[in-house]
Amino acid sequence: MEQNKHWQSFGELNNSEAFQIAGKDEFKQELPFEGAEDGGFFKTPTPRRDFLKYLGFSTAAAAIAASCEIPVKKSIPFANKPEDIVPGVSNYYATTFVQDGDVVSVLAKVRDGRPIKIEGNELSPITEGGTSARVQASVLELYDMARLRFPTMGGNEVTFEAADKGIAAALAGLGGAPVVVLTSTINSPTTLDAINQFIAKFPGSKHVQYDAVSYTGMLLANEATYGKRAIPSYRFENAKVIASIGADFLGTWLSPVEFTKQYAKGRKLEQKNPSLSRHFHFETVASLTGSNADERYLHKPSETGAIAAALLSAVKGQGVSGVSDKVKEGITKAAKELTANKGAALVVSGSNDVNIQIIVNAINEELQASGKTIDWSATVNYKLGIDKNLADLVADMNAGKVGALLVHGANPVYSWYDKDKVVSGLAKVKLSVSFSPKKDETAEHCTYIIPDSHYLESWGDAEPKAGFYSFIQPTIHPLFKTRQWQDSLLKWSGAATDYLTAFKTYWGAKLGGVAGWDKALQDGVATAAGTAITPAAGAFNASGVAGAISAAAGKKGGKYEVVLYQKVGIGAGQGTANPWLMEMPDPVTKATWDNYVIVSPKLALDVLKIDVQNAGQADAYEVNPPKKVLTVTVNGKSVKLPAVIIPGTEENTIGIAVGYGRSKNVGLAALTDEGDPIGQNAFPLASFNGSSVQYFGDADIKLEDDTYIVAMTQTHNVYTTPQGTRTEVMKEFTLNSFKKKPGQVLEDREHELKPWGGVDNFEKDGTIYPVYKKPGIHWGMSVDLNTCVGCGACVVACFAENNIPMVGKREVSRYHDMHWIRIDRYYSGDIDNPTVVFQPLMCQHCDNAPCENVCPVNATNHSSEGLNQMAYNRCIGTRYCANNCPYKVRRFNWADYTGADSFPHNQQGHISNVTMGMNEDLVRMVLNPDVTVRSRGVMEKCSFCVQRLQEGKLKAKKESRPLKTGENNEWDVKTACQQACPTNAIVFGDKNDSKSAVTVNRAENNERMFRVIEQLHTLPNVTYLAKVRNRDEEIVTEG
Amino acid sequence: MHLKYESQLREPLVDGVKDYHQVTEDIVRPIEAKPSKLWYIGFFVSASCLLFGVYSVYREVTYGIGQWNLNKTIGWGWDITNFVWWVGIGHAGTLISAILLLFRQGWRTGVNRAAEAMTIFAVMCAGQFPIFHMGRVWMCFFIFPYPNTRGPVWPNFNSPLMWDVFAISTYFTVSLLFWYSGLIPDFGTVRDRAKTKLRKKLYGIASFGWVGSTKHWQRHEALSLVLAGLATPLVLSVHTIVSMDFATSVIPGWHTTIFPPYFVAGAIFSGFAMTQTLLVVIRKVFNLQEYITLGHVEAMNKVIVLTGSIVGCAYLTELFMGWYSQNKYEGYTFWYSRANLFSPYGWAYWGMMTCNVLSPQIFWFRKMRRNLFVTFFMSVIVNVGMWFERFVIIVTSLYRDYLPSSWAVYYHPSIWEIGFYLGTFGLFFTCFFLFSKYFPTIAIAEIKYILKTSGESFKAKVGSIEMQGVEEFASEHAHIDGHVVAGAHSH
Repeated sequence: MEQNKHWQSFGELNNSEAFQIAGKDEFKQELPFEGAEDGGFFKTPTPRRDFLKYLGFSTAAAAIAASCEIPVKKSIPFANKPEDIVPGVSNYYATTFVQDGDVVSVLAKVRDGRPIKIEGNELSPITEGGTSARVQASVLELYDMARLRFPTMGGNEVTFEAADKGIAAALAGLGGAPVVVLTSTINSPTTLDAINQFIAKFPGSKHVQYDAVSYTGMLLANEATYGKRAIPSYRFENAKVIASIGADFLGTWLSPVEFTKQYAKGRKLEQKNPSLSRHFHFETVASLTGSNADERYLHKPSETGAIAAALLSAVKGQGVSGVSDKVKEGITKAAKELTANKGAALVVSGSNDVNIQIIVNAINEELQASGKTIDWSATVNYKLGIDKNLADLVADMNAGKVGALLVHGANPVYSWYDKDKVVSGLAKVKLSVSFSPKKDETAEHCTYIIPDSHYLESWGDAEPKAGFYSFIQPTIHPLFKTRQWQDSLLKWSGAATDYLTAFKTYWGAKLGGVAGWDKALQDGVATAAGTAITPAAGAFNASGVAGAISAAAGKKGGKYEVVLYQKVGIGAGQGTANPWLMEMPDPVTKATWDNYVIVSPKLALDVLKIDVQNAGQADAYEVNPPKKVLTVTVNGKSVKLPAVIIPGTEENTIGIAVGYGRSKNVGLAALTDEGDPIGQNAFPLASFNGSSVQYFGDADIKLEDDTYIVAMTQTHNVYTTPQGTRTEVMKEFTLNSFKKKPGQVLEDREHELKPWGGVDNFEKDGTIYPVYKKPGIHWGMSVDLNTCVGCGACVVACFAENNIPMVGKREVSRYHDMHWIRIDRYYSGDIDNPTVVFQPLMCQHCDNAPCENVCPVNATNHSSEGLNQMAYNRCIGTRYCANNCPYKVRRFNWADYTGADSFPHNQQGHISNVTMGMNEDLVRMVLNPDVTVRSRGVMEKCSFCVQRLQEGKLKAKKESRPLKTGENNEWDVKTACQQACPTNAIVFGDKNDSKSAVTVNRAENNERMFRVIEQLHTLPNVTYLAKVRNRDEEIVTEG
Repeated sequence: MHLKYESQLREPLVDGVKDYHQVTEDIVRPIEAKPSKLWYIGFFVSASCLLFGVYSVYREVTYGIGQWNLNKTIGWGWDITNFVWWVGIGHAGTLISAILLLFRQGWRTGVNRAAEAMTIFAVMCAGQFPIFHMGRVWMCFFIFPYPNTRGPVWPNFNSPLMWDVFAISTYFTVSLLFWYSGLIPDFGTVRDRAKTKLRKKLYGIASFGWVGSTKHWQRHEALSLVLAGLATPLVLSVHTIVSMDFATSVIPGWHTTIFPPYFVAGAIFSGFAMTQTLLVVIRKVFNLQEYITLGHVEAMNKVIVLTGSIVGCAYLTELFMGWYSQNKYEGYTFWYSRANLFSPYGWAYWGMMTCNVLSPQIFWFRKMRRNLFVTFFMSVIVNVGMWFERFVIIVTSLYRDYLPSSWAVYYHPSIWEIGFYLGTFGLFFTCFFLFSKYFPTIAIAEIKYILKTSGESFKAKVGSIEMQGVEEFASEHAHIDGHVVAGAHSH
């Protein structure tokens, strides 16, 4: 059969040449990459399949590259693990915060070799675990970028050997000219030994102690009346009636942590048997203590003597004269209460005038305070400086009578009223040595700077009160080439031993060998055998009282007077370079970062032309951070500062804080972003009356045509509005009213919640959703507004614990502060002299949280333990949660404050220098490794210190026992704010545990307990105990 | 499609004597002609604004939301104000297209195309704000419910912001489809007239091969109806859901149950105002007075006065409830933060009241409704007022809420916040200029539907009367006893 030829094309039919070639090459195409050999990879043809390959590869590569947004930093484990360091487990070392005579026994939390947090030492009989903002912030000073890293001579680095040699030579070549060791108050026995050893080496030499804010008046008055140049211990806890004439004993006076602890004991209200101490306060410019007083009276600083004299006269049962009517009323009332409580009354005064303090001593004697509320058995060593000694020293220096000056702690070039004399004197001293850890104002004028180590790097001790000791032990090897100054002294005096050996020898003998020494170091505190616990009286000599009265009373001031005061955080300038303290809102003014003058509403009306009674003007003042600027002139020296209106300030008195206007060398935090010092130094406005420095004077004021931004964290201060008083926010009343109507808070709440089932059924009836049981641990917090004094220790403790970024002044003024806990301060009553209440506010951890519903990505949600938690890496930053938070406690990362951003190094010029400074490697050593550092664009807020909760739960679990939160005062878990609180106002724990402290606290105080804006049905886990004042008139709090 | 009943009294929807060809010529003219100098100027000004906006957003994304002046108390400010404002503007288009289509309102044909385009562009602008107001915009995809390896972690379906994502994306999609489906026959027309190959090709692609067969028309009409049906509830739902961002919260001034209807009314109000603003200009610039007639302008002004009054009622209701509830927090927000002219933001509230409630009342007068200058001026005023409304709701509620301690410092926008807003204007007008140049700004096919049925009788009968003066009319009618309309019985 003939085969039919089948063909597909004419080419195939004809079998043309072209067809043959085409057929041969039909599958000629080579593999994709083969062409790479000739012409290179990029010249290869890219057919479809290659294209897809490349596309797939490049997409995958891009995806991988894009997901590696944060570079991985590798850490290397120990080759040989140190015995006492377990990675991830903290060690606590008992040590002591010592700063210019202030002593607070603390525990340093050391994590992986780095001290990262300071906690109070509960074994201390003096502070009982209390701390202050300044104590909490002291750990940051260890990592301060402005610390000197090596000794210098004339500004150039030298080795210790060279410095020692040079100084030894210089000391030898003084030719008998005296050597003076100028220090702030030293209350360390071993340091005093070292100083004495040094002085003994150079005949004619002396040790001068000088306090920037001095207590000379008290010391000299006590010398005159009790025969001892000393200050007794005060026992505020024994006082049923306290009268303070300008002593800010809760904030800055003498030993505030100790006094706050004592004071709080008298302010704890027992529901069953309600009683409170009564606190009268006479002051010139609103202070923290005055804000907490039951009755506050305002007077001019020049009237202080008259007031003391009038009080003495009233206490003696004689008439009151020489004071204004309002004050007179107060004195009469105070005297009545004081005399009715003889033996349980105490009068203190913050004056530095000898005569006034003599009168105060006479009053206390009249009240039989000595031996009851004043203890002469244990005199305190917090402040020992006598102003005249420094005045004489400065005169000697200028006369060329001082051969060498060694300065430690004191900074007279900054804080002495007559700075120029100190500078000229220093120039005439042959050898000047500063032990300052930073190049401060005085160190700038010294030849040598031999930087002292930070207390966390040092050995040492302190004797805050006679017979009470507190020990300092190092928690980290010195970071820089610094040396304890005691070592320097011993070396230069030719001693054979170093300080540590001397210290060990001294205490080894006293504490009874190694065991005693170990225990003392472990406890951090020790008490000398036979130290009296019961207060003892002093022998009073009344001969000088009459003279003092005639000298003190009857002084007349000018129209306007100025008072220099210390801020709680800043002190006399110790806190100015510490970003934590600068950003902590001042408890009284709620301003951060800045120096300003405090004026009264009346003075604001007269001089600033701002009427705070006028809603429009008050609003304008509040909502605009730029404040009007005043020039204040005292004794021909003037400062130009913005004016902040603070009610509770005497009409024509102006308050200026000291501590600002520091040298550029003390750190970025003391400078504005432009590099100028923040604020102005107010010390030159002080004056010296021949025996003591006086921190007030007559002033001329002038309104400048200028404004200056003051960064405040709270601008509105009353909870009364034209539409009613917001009693759901705050509840306060008087003791009398509480006694009369103990159930009034409950009634209030019942009324507020009535539409939704009342207090008992509110949880169920306030919602359309079913209510579930909450078994297991349920965290809760109770805050006692009665004992909270608003000091701010919790705020700084939270900074340290939770790695809170410091955003700097500009950002705070834009309301961008990142604080997880804030202390709200509300005024009520008389606009010129209001009552004040403080309310610490953190995330309320609502069980029905408005923030949780609205987050589109579930970044904030509720834990089974009642915590409102944040998943930072889920957060996309819509800020809806913050808007919907009725408590406004959520904080947003507006910029890359922490340097944790995916875009590195992009914040220069956009955030403050000080914030950039906080991100230096050195400063980052203070970060708590248990807490995530939040990046730009995420929301954050209080977590109830969840890292501590986890640690505590783990501990209980490892020991196979239930968690303890305060049962029998045993604690597995304390939040940072609770730990720091000097008044134990914050109680935290498991509210499902019937024995936990928080449950007990709520049950025992159920008549005062309330939740903030409870009617919203947010079901917060934070409860408050209403504020009760021991005042005469009832405060109306009905809305 | 359209009712063939022709009202004797309704004035014509298309003025002048037109045939079908003339309609095409008139509308396609701007597309085929070279753009004018004015167009170029407008386009470049818009594009510059857009670029400045892009830079503003770049700053914010790179350096953080701190580039804006928001703060710990006021978490939303210009960003969400602008978002709600633009979404509101994006309401008129779909309302005109969908609801009026279902209600057989023939007059919509003159304005629907431009109004729909405006909707699309406004929603595009609106969308920028919720995206770029995020602190970590690069993580914005977390908001989508996609399967993932994180557990999986889903978005929070309780959150109104989540609902926003769905509401707005749905609205945008449906509006876009609706708009585009209407454009297909017109693109066919443009393609058929194209003289260059490129134009033919591009418009050919854009017209999806439209040949105008009966089957095409039938499907097109069915699609229009289906999309109109879908879009109608969306007109109401989008702003309802946007209002829930506020209404479901606990903040006084936000937590308000009348928000959904009040927001929808406000949205239509502002949308119509924006349509007016644009159309008054377009009809002049492109010489389309005969298609966008005074009748159109008047009809839209009627909607403006209606919705403006609804919004006004809502404002007064809120004020009343602020007092009547005796809730001190609500009371403070409404009576102090807002209604008190001397409180820090009192100016914004009274600005809103003046612009939104008082000034539109002028449209009770026919003369005013038909006055182009008044219309244009009022349309701008209304949108200023509506911006104030959103600002008032967001900022004056937030800045002083429950705890007086957290009351904020004065919020005013930073240059970059303003820049972002300006940028969206740039985006809007850039898109609109391109639209007006390359797209038929009036629905050609739909105009042709109504051309012969919308006013031929009117022109023949009533038109002449309309031309008469009042006295002339009166004197003429004095002689015809019992007859109201001359010639009404003539056939």
